[in-house]
Amino acid sequence: MKPLRAQQLAAELEVEMMAHMHNRMTIAYHRKCVPPLYKEAEMSKGKSVCLDWCLSKHLDIHKWIGKKLTELSV
Amino acid sequence: MEQQQQQQLRNLRDFLLVYNRMTELCFQRCVPSLHHRALDAEEEACLHSCAGKLIHSNHRLMAAYVQLMPALVQRRIADYEAAAAVPAVAAQQPGTSPPGS
Repeated sequence: MKPLRAQQLAAELEVEMMAHMHNRMTIAYHRKCVPPLYKEAEMSKGKSVCLDWCLSKHLDIHKWIGKKLTELSV
Repeated sequence: MEQQQQQQLRNLRDFLLVYNRMTELCFQRCVPSLHHRALDAEEEACLHSCAGKLIHSNHRLMAAYVQLMPALVQRRIADYEAAAAVPAVAAQQPGTSPPGS
């Protein structure tokens, strides 16, 4: 397979994985950070910050597990 | 050659999906509350255990699957052939009464 084609496939796969993660995480973070008391549509600052921290921690975990997987498979 | 590459691509895709799910599971279980931005020591220890256990269970299940798969495939092929043989036998016997009479 040509290297350019391989690169293209890898990029497509990565985008697909990002989309997959994003879809699931939207629901998961909402469950974690937003208690089900829907009095108004606006989100408070606390909830927004919680969502930011969720994403940040999730990406840290993602990187950490990636490192762990490569360590264990070597 | 092309088939092999397709197979490799499928394997890579499966691996990445498992990786995503692992991250999600460990995040759900090890990060109960969001009080700080960074991961603290307790959460890191939990992640260490979570990731280790998941990887070990994945390896164990793969080994078991590889062992059991050939037998399962053989049985499925046999069932399929048996199912395909039955209508062929029924079609060869014109002596049975037609449904309309």
